[in-house]
Amino acid sequence: MFVSRSMTCKVITVDQEMQILEAQDLLAESNIRHLPVVDGDGRLIGIVTDRDIRSALPYHFFKQSCSGEEKQQFCDMKVKDIMTTDPLSISASFTIQDALLLIQDSKVGALPVIDEERRLQGIISVRDLLRAFINVLGIGQPGTLLGILVEEKIGQLKKIVDAITEENISFGSVLVGRYWDENKRAVFPYLLTQNVAHVKKKLQGLGFTIIDPMDWYIDQLPQDESTCEPTE
Amino acid sequence: MKKTGFLYDERYQSHKTSGFHPEIPDRLPAVYRGIEDAGLLPKLTLLKGRQPEMKYIEMVHDRSYIERFKAACSSGESVFDDPDNQMCSDTYETALLAVGGVLEMVTRVMDGELDNGFCAIRPPGHHAEANKAMGFCYFNNVAIAARYLQNGWGFHRVGIVDFDVHHGNGTQHIFEDDPSVFYYSIHEHPSFAYPGTGREFEKGKDFGYGYTKNSPVLPGQGDEEYKRLIERDLLPAFAEFKPQVILVSVGFDAHRDDDMSDMKLSTEGFSWIMRLIVELAARYAQGRVVSVLEGGYCLARLPELAKNHIEILLNA
Repeated sequence: MFVSRSMTCKVITVDQEMQILEAQDLLAESNIRHLPVVDGDGRLIGIVTDRDIRSALPYHFFKQSCSGEEKQQFCDMKVKDIMTTDPLSISASFTIQDALLLIQDSKVGALPVIDEERRLQGIISVRDLLRAFINVLGIGQPGTLLGILVEEKIGQLKKIVDAITEENISFGSVLVGRYWDENKRAVFPYLLTQNVAHVKKKLQGLGFTIIDPMDWYIDQLPQDESTCEPTE
Repeated sequence: MKKTGFLYDERYQSHKTSGFHPEIPDRLPAVYRGIEDAGLLPKLTLLKGRQPEMKYIEMVHDRSYIERFKAACSSGESVFDDPDNQMCSDTYETALLAVGGVLEMVTRVMDGELDNGFCAIRPPGHHAEANKAMGFCYFNNVAIAARYLQNGWGFHRVGIVDFDVHHGNGTQHIFEDDPSVFYYSIHEHPSFAYPGTGREFEKGKDFGYGYTKNSPVLPGQGDEEYKRLIERDLLPAFAEFKPQVILVSVGFDAHRDDDMSDMKLSTEGFSWIMRLIVELAARYAQGRVVSVLEGGYCLARLPELAKNHIEILLNA
């Protein structure tokens, strides 16, 4: 799972001398949020986002109540005036997991991908990563998700896989998650079938607990209940 | 009392599945028994399966798919496209007889010979895509009926209500860009149940945008939630669309005793839904309703559910 396989390779880039209003149009037309800024040799020197541009323009600019003089001032603003110079970037040999952790830590929406000479090779955005994970999890593929509670000990997953395989059912994916109880784990096999009633009974017969779907969590920690209880 | 048709044919049991497959021939005698034991048969017009004109099937399914299905069946394959879709040497013929029976029911209702009707057929259809068998389904019976109504009878507002516990991906996809067919489905939420489609934001495409409506229901919910969602979503949609005829994909698998799902619909809950559909048909569609069996696997509950279903049609 390398960034090289999931990144966007045909990157729309801009020159640092471009006017920001032009860059804004480019973002809107292309339905993207990040524009890497490159020099004449294709080397990454900065990045500008739709948010950078919006922050550079006053609210009344959008209300179209600017005076002519003010307008000219904004028209003269260049990408180089507002871009983030020397932005966080990664190499194509980074893994998807690296990119996810880095994006989570740095709170950016995309990472330019560069080679050793800092030449831009691509860009990987939150959107690209979501697509990769939707694919990995098989979301939208015809199937049924089960949630199974197992003791934290070696060989549990094998028993589950064997039981399901005996039913001639294929796996779309299997997630193993942590559970509240320290000595338990939650296993989520995504089964490529409509026919799960019998396999559920079989797993219960083997001593596994089928978790009530309304109690499924993929997130790891019990949240502080006061902070995110749904308000009804 | 209405003139209600009941399509039932022992040949529909010829499509056999094996092992622990839930979509078994015994489902149909269970349906029949419920209606027979209640003494309702004499009040019904009984229809049998028949060969359909292939041109109607080809309005939904690619010709290459039909050929592939036929060939797989005659060469003795035991599954088709996916292990869910078990088949025997009679599966193709049975699927044809199901389509033909449903089209005959539609014809009789359109001719005015019948007011409405229930088609107890196998195999079911709503998961079948234009070129792919899925989820125990081979020919999309309801989709073919809708195309027949459009092309054979010139209807431009066909309403489909699908309350099988699984989303009818096939029916939705076949009509998603067609504003002359409104597809409404209420089903277990796709993050928890097969087939992984039917989310609230799936509303159709292109010209058909706004003519697909999905009400996903979270696991464990029952009558109240079904009522709330149907009143919120289906009623205003049909009030605007005003279907000229209503086709129903009837699944009894959202019943609390049916282990194919996590839903807790009661027997009375099913009656409530069907009475509402029949009322909508009276309001907009001169009472024209043709319901077609999809899922429903609890043999102990099927007799009563089928009996109630047909009584509601009779007393519409």
